[in-house]
Amino acid sequence: MHQLRHIHERELRFLGLVLITGLVIALQLVDSLRPLGLSGSGWRVIDRQAVERRIESGELSDREASWYHPLSNDEARAARAGSAP
Amino acid sequence: MSAVTCELCPRGCVIPEGGAGDCRIRVNLGGRLRATTYGRPSAVHIDPMEKKPLYHFLPGTPVFSIATAGCNLHCLNCQNWQLSQRGGEEMEQVYRLDPPELIRAAKAEGCRSIAYTYSDPVVFYEYVYDSAELARQEGLANCFVTAAYINQHPLRQLCRLLDAANADLKAFDDGFYRQVNGATLKPVLDALVTMREEGVWLEVTNLVIPTLNDDPAVIRRLARWVRAELGAQTPLHFSRFQPQYRMRNLPPTPVETLDRARREAQDAGLEHVYVGNVLGHAGNSTYCPRDGTLLIGRVGFMITDYALTADGRCPSCNERVPGVWRSADLSGDRR
Repeated sequence: MHQLRHIHERELRFLGLVLITGLVIALQLVDSLRPLGLSGSGWRVIDRQAVERRIESGELSDREASWYHPLSNDEARAARAGSAP
Repeated sequence: MSAVTCELCPRGCVIPEGGAGDCRIRVNLGGRLRATTYGRPSAVHIDPMEKKPLYHFLPGTPVFSIATAGCNLHCLNCQNWQLSQRGGEEMEQVYRLDPPELIRAAKAEGCRSIAYTYSDPVVFYEYVYDSAELARQEGLANCFVTAAYINQHPLRQLCRLLDAANADLKAFDDGFYRQVNGATLKPVLDALVTMREEGVWLEVTNLVIPTLNDDPAVIRRLARWVRAELGAQTPLHFSRFQPQYRMRNLPPTPVETLDRARREAQDAGLEHVYVGNVLGHAGNSTYCPRDGTLLIGRVGFMITDYALTADGRCPSCNERVPGVWRSADLSGDRR
């Protein structure tokens, strides 16, 4: 009887492990299927030092872009409420 | 706070200091946004115009074609992902080709036009703009090969310098754009209309992917929209999908599917509907919309027959076929 209860607990632990694994896989799938990027969503973490090194060596450009503006207070509030990588 | 908002494309990325836009190449350093691939293309080739594909624009001529790293779309089936889905600092090969050198190189190779292509030229906008301005001064034409995910103001400004564009219309379905491309449909439609309004010679490409955007009803809607908003004479290319990048689970598009799409578009009233990426298909060639005469025969990117008159007319019925057939046809300040 004692041995039967022991097996039962082990099985429960195993079942729990399977469920947790399934949950993790499901979350990963949901995350990967999310629409990739919509308005105001995107910015990326980059290797800043690599970019600066390449700019210094002339392999990349330091040219200032057109079509941008400093972040306004309203946009900052929206960004805080919204997205980041 | 030294974050900036990029206004170039509909994403409107809010980029903190030291970060990049979603395109990977527009980088905020010290509160100023840098176009890090300006004058630093990673792909430089001489292609036939037919490869863009532009079938009604200076046919049979070589076009000096460039692209830098980066893209503002993230298509699961991207055919240039090694280029488009990387930042400039990740590229092994970067050429130093500022606009004056680019124009010199194109002319030295005997090209009459420059194509901004491969990844998406929207993200290296400043490089395109300055090069196009200089190209125009030097008598070269500018071709823009794009997914057209760009805001209206920068596009209108650029259109003044563009002679031709091939724009992808990936599906007439916003859900497809969100799931497969990481974008949205409406800004693309607006951009196509703007290019037409601004007098850019426009051809449209739709890559037909089995089960995802090959529904005849969706194709019909797309063709009807092209006819209504861009005109019946707008060339529409249905291109064959090949499995690649993150979409290897689907087969190449059956030729019958492309034939069906072509028929749908012709039934919707479009006069010049092509099938691409199928070697030797009759739908590669240009026919007179009035009497069916073969005007330009093509096999792959090669021209095998050319019967158009010098001023772009059918030799049998004298029907004028829309397009830019000679450099002299570039009108006004586009010459």
